[in-house]
Amino acid sequence: MESNFLPSDYFPIVLQLLAAIGFVGLTMLATHLVGPKRKTKDKLETFECGIEQQGDARAPISIKYFLVAILFVLFDVEVIFMYPWAVNFREMGMQGLMEMFVFIGLLLAGFVYIIKKGALDWE
Amino acid sequence: MTGIIIISLIAIVILFLGLYKLDKAIVPLAVAALLAAITSYALAWNTNIYYFNNMLFVDNFAILFSILTIATTILILLLSPGYFEKISSNVAEYVALILFSLVGVLCMVSYNNFSMLFIGIEIMSISMYIMAGIRKKDLASNEAALKYFLMGSFATGFLLFGIALVYGFTGSFNLETISTLVMESGGQAAALFVAGILFMIVGMSFKVSAAPFHFWAPDVYDGAPSLVTSYMSSVVKTASFAAFIRMFIVAFAGVIHIFTPTLWALAAITIIVGNVIALYQDTFKRMLAYSSISHAGYMLIAILALGPDSGNAIFYYAVAYSIASVSAFAILIKVKALKNSESFDAFNGLAKNNPKSALALTISMCSLAGIPLTAGFFGKFFIFTIAINQGFYWLVGLAILNAVVAFWYYFRVIIAMYMKSPSSDEKIEYGFSYKLVLWIAAIATLLFGLLPGILSGLL
Amino acid sequence: MLQLIALVPLLPLIGFLINGIGNKSLSKSLVGIIGSGTMLLSFIISLGIFFELKNSEVSAHTFTFFDWINVGNFNLSFSFLVDPLSSLMLLVVTGVGFLIHVYSIGYMKHDEGFAKFFAYLNLFVFFMLLLVLGANYAIMFIGWEGVGLCSYLLIGFWYKNTSYNNAAKKAFVMNRIGDLGFLIALFLIFKTFGSISFNEVFTSAAKFTSGDPTLTTIAILLFIGAMGKSAQLPLYTWLPDAMAGPTPVSALIHAATMVTAGIYMIARSSIIYALAPIAMDIVATIGMITAVWAALIALTQTDIKKVLAYSTVSQLGYMFVALGVGSFTGAVFHLMTHAFFKALLFLGAGSVIHAMSGEQDMRSMGGLKKKLPITFITILIGTLAISGVPPFAGFFSKDEILAATYNHSMPMFIVMSITSVLTAFYMFRMLFLTFYGNFRGTNDQASHLHESPKSMTIPLIVLAVFSTIAGFVGLPEVFSEHHALKSFLSPSFVFTNGRFSFEAASHVVEYSIMGVSLVVVALVYIYAQKRFAKDVYLLPVDESKMTLMQRLSYRKFYIDEFYENLITKPLDKLSTFFYRVIDKSGIDGVVNGLGKITMNGSKNLRTIQTGNTGFYIFSMVVGIIIIMLLNFILS
Repeated sequence: MESNFLPSDYFPIVLQLLAAIGFVGLTMLATHLVGPKRKTKDKLETFECGIEQQGDARAPISIKYFLVAILFVLFDVEVIFMYPWAVNFREMGMQGLMEMFVFIGLLLAGFVYIIKKGALDWE
Repeated sequence: MTGIIIISLIAIVILFLGLYKLDKAIVPLAVAALLAAITSYALAWNTNIYYFNNMLFVDNFAILFSILTIATTILILLLSPGYFEKISSNVAEYVALILFSLVGVLCMVSYNNFSMLFIGIEIMSISMYIMAGIRKKDLASNEAALKYFLMGSFATGFLLFGIALVYGFTGSFNLETISTLVMESGGQAAALFVAGILFMIVGMSFKVSAAPFHFWAPDVYDGAPSLVTSYMSSVVKTASFAAFIRMFIVAFAGVIHIFTPTLWALAAITIIVGNVIALYQDTFKRMLAYSSISHAGYMLIAILALGPDSGNAIFYYAVAYSIASVSAFAILIKVKALKNSESFDAFNGLAKNNPKSALALTISMCSLAGIPLTAGFFGKFFIFTIAINQGFYWLVGLAILNAVVAFWYYFRVIIAMYMKSPSSDEKIEYGFSYKLVLWIAAIATLLFGLLPGILSGLL
Repeated sequence: MLQLIALVPLLPLIGFLINGIGNKSLSKSLVGIIGSGTMLLSFIISLGIFFELKNSEVSAHTFTFFDWINVGNFNLSFSFLVDPLSSLMLLVVTGVGFLIHVYSIGYMKHDEGFAKFFAYLNLFVFFMLLLVLGANYAIMFIGWEGVGLCSYLLIGFWYKNTSYNNAAKKAFVMNRIGDLGFLIALFLIFKTFGSISFNEVFTSAAKFTSGDPTLTTIAILLFIGAMGKSAQLPLYTWLPDAMAGPTPVSALIHAATMVTAGIYMIARSSIIYALAPIAMDIVATIGMITAVWAALIALTQTDIKKVLAYSTVSQLGYMFVALGVGSFTGAVFHLMTHAFFKALLFLGAGSVIHAMSGEQDMRSMGGLKKKLPITFITILIGTLAISGVPPFAGFFSKDEILAATYNHSMPMFIVMSITSVLTAFYMFRMLFLTFYGNFRGTNDQASHLHESPKSMTIPLIVLAVFSTIAGFVGLPEVFSEHHALKSFLSPSFVFTNGRFSFEAASHVVEYSIMGVSLVVVALVYIYAQKRFAKDVYLLPVDESKMTLMQRLSYRKFYIDEFYENLITKPLDKLSTFFYRVIDKSGIDGVVNGLGKITMNGSKNLRTIQTGNTGFYIFSMVVGIIIIMLLNFILS
């Protein structure tokens, strides 16, 4: 580990920042320049997908959508932890297995809690 | 470390107790778990063990602050029977959230790695964002939660940015590694490193509600349910200060001189803003919110005058302040329930109908004001002593002047209690655990005011 | 036993807590048992400590309980010093305290504030024990202030009476003046020696040369503290007024224990005084003047408790004389015997007042001998003891003081001898006015006359026994090879031993002093009997017929009026002037102005808190920008 860092050491970060912004700008520019321009009514719709849009996007949506969505993300993301564990399964051995059991156990406890609490009941 | 595990597990168990309608068992179980956690911390005294690949370091500093925050939480939980029930039936969730937040607090006071600091702060804060808004139908409570969340995430962003910059300079999150690098650099620091620490100071200043990052505090303290406010103003504040000073004691001690003007200004502005605005408040609760800002200012002085005694001084101050603040909020809750008002007038003549509560509140106000024979006096005394030893005469002068100003608003409630006549003859009814908390608070305040040696030599 | 030292003050504290908290729910008998029981236990432990100390090789033990304040170079531990001096004081405080507690059970039986009274009394004993046991000046000071507080509470115990409250306030203010001296001395000691613990201070003080100005200043300042607490000229006037409190309080606080705190403090600091001859002279002179002054006033007082109060002031003067001439043992000796016989006299007076249904004026008494036989005999013993009749306790202690003054200076010896004649005179006057002749009170009072209950008479008898025999611990050389008390106490005066040597008075002198005192007392007895037993007062009831001397004494040398006119009134005027002119327009203006500015600031600053989150975040950003500027541009 080096002890004297210079501002120039942050150069890669700046580079990446430029690349990120540049990419956005570049693609937007490119689509404008390269893409064909057909200005019909259907083409100017906000969502061009073949189905006509209905009402206002700001209509209140049941809180249950958010609840289910958030819970889905939560449990979905937790699977990520299992990949590195699976890859290192042999190295981590028995201890790793126990730790994963504890993890899954806590996860299941949460899951049971959610179901019991009725968070997934639609009605 | 065992303490963190006990509390986490019991919090989950409590969630399930709520599911099976065992509400009566919740608080006793929580208190028992917290007592067990205190024991486990007390047993770890002088052992100095690292956990999780040096992410946590349970030294005596961490143990003292852990025990203080856990004990304060016990007091607050003892006040809770009958309180949360009135808000909604989700009592188990409330208690569990408080315990989860406490787990965050425990990470914050014993972190040895900036990522752990960040995780601790987030665990603590997210629970508190929810707790501030548990009165779903109450606009003030909703506003408090939303404001706390918005501004909290804004400030956390700065903290994270600061940590990232420091990492960029040192290549490590580990406090001791950083400290070694700082020492090697001989007090010199690159601009980005300084900027990183400044951003961390900003983030922590927000958490301890130091001016000019204090704006959230009065609104949130005022809007949140009083019991939650008492938790925020005691445990959360103590933990934030512990984390704040640990950062400087362990990692940045070598470069603190660079930040002296900043910390000086923060402390001075905080003390002035807190005390002066508190003068003009109409409600007791809002006054306590501003007074809590001013106390943050006094505690900042201990960080500014960093030395071997700083940790001790902050600990003593935090003990005195936490106890007094819990007892003040406890009586506020009862007065609010009786008179349906949080203004100073609601306290008129309290001494006639409820002499013991009036006495308890008087003791707590005297301690907050820093009057001799109460713990608060020695809290201020120790902080001012180390500041004077380091030559911060002007700041101490300013602080003492403001402490005198503070008498005015602390005594306002004492005068209301003893000199004015009550509007009705109703008496406040206390449950056993409520009385217990008030007794403990009063006795502890006087005990630590008479015998500061019990606590002052521990660190 | 020595390990139990912490219990000695702790037990009365527990008693205070129980009686203080449960004062409404506990029955009177339980309160009495708790109050006296804790004292008895304390006394037993003190007794054990005393004998263990007496038989042990090591004479001083320091017990440190915990570090009290620990800041930088200022280290203060909460510790007790048990040495001969403090163990003797322990015995006096707990022993006499216990008897007075028992007595109070009977005396205060009909009072509604019974539990409160015992709670205060226990608290007082706790502080007194702190004062005595403290191993540094800070703990002594806490005890010192604590006993002052309790004394204030107990003088004003019957708080509904305004004049009693005023008496309490007077005691408080007079004591504050003294305390200021003590406090300044304390700071000066810390500054000079870098410590306030007895051991360190005395060890380093012993290395100073005699007459060192710092030591002299400290000694004088400490003495100012002692003057307040131990009621010496000019700060003595609170003590006679303090008689407003219940009689057991007068006995315990204003005769036996608290007022002797000043003596104890000076005896404790003996080395500082030994090296400050000027301070010693001041102590002796003021003690002497006070002794004779108060004795003269006592001659004409008509209130039985006032006579005893002035007598206490006078006897305290004796003790200061002893200290001033370097006879520290003599002072402590007299302190001890005085505690016995003065407590006895006060309690006896209380018994008389009890029988007289609250009457304190001796002009309404008389002929009580037959009705109150036990009280009479015990008071008689007390009177003989205080008058210095051998072999009663007072004789030996007074004899030692007189012998010391005889060595020191002849005029002082003569004045003190005269004082001792005066003492005998006013005490016999009291005795005859009260117990001989015909009853002069109302018929109503006559029908109520009765001997006091056992709980009151037994303490009287025990005290009478001690007043008779306590003197034998300090027999002069003529009777015994060695002075038991002196050799016991000598480790406490290890630094001063040998600095003052008193030649033992020759046997002829001893015997003649004894003979002379017997003859004088006998003469006084005959004169007093002639005069007072036949219902003739020493002074006319009508003030205008008094002689000048009588009037001066009766009016207490006009000292209260003197203070009133010389100090209180001008001070009042001055303060009115300051209040009207300087304060109102000057200081008030500034203070109010500052207050207004602050309040306005508060009002304006408050508006920053708009409630708008956007604004809050904006100001945070401004704050951050300023911080960044402060750090990067300006530096």
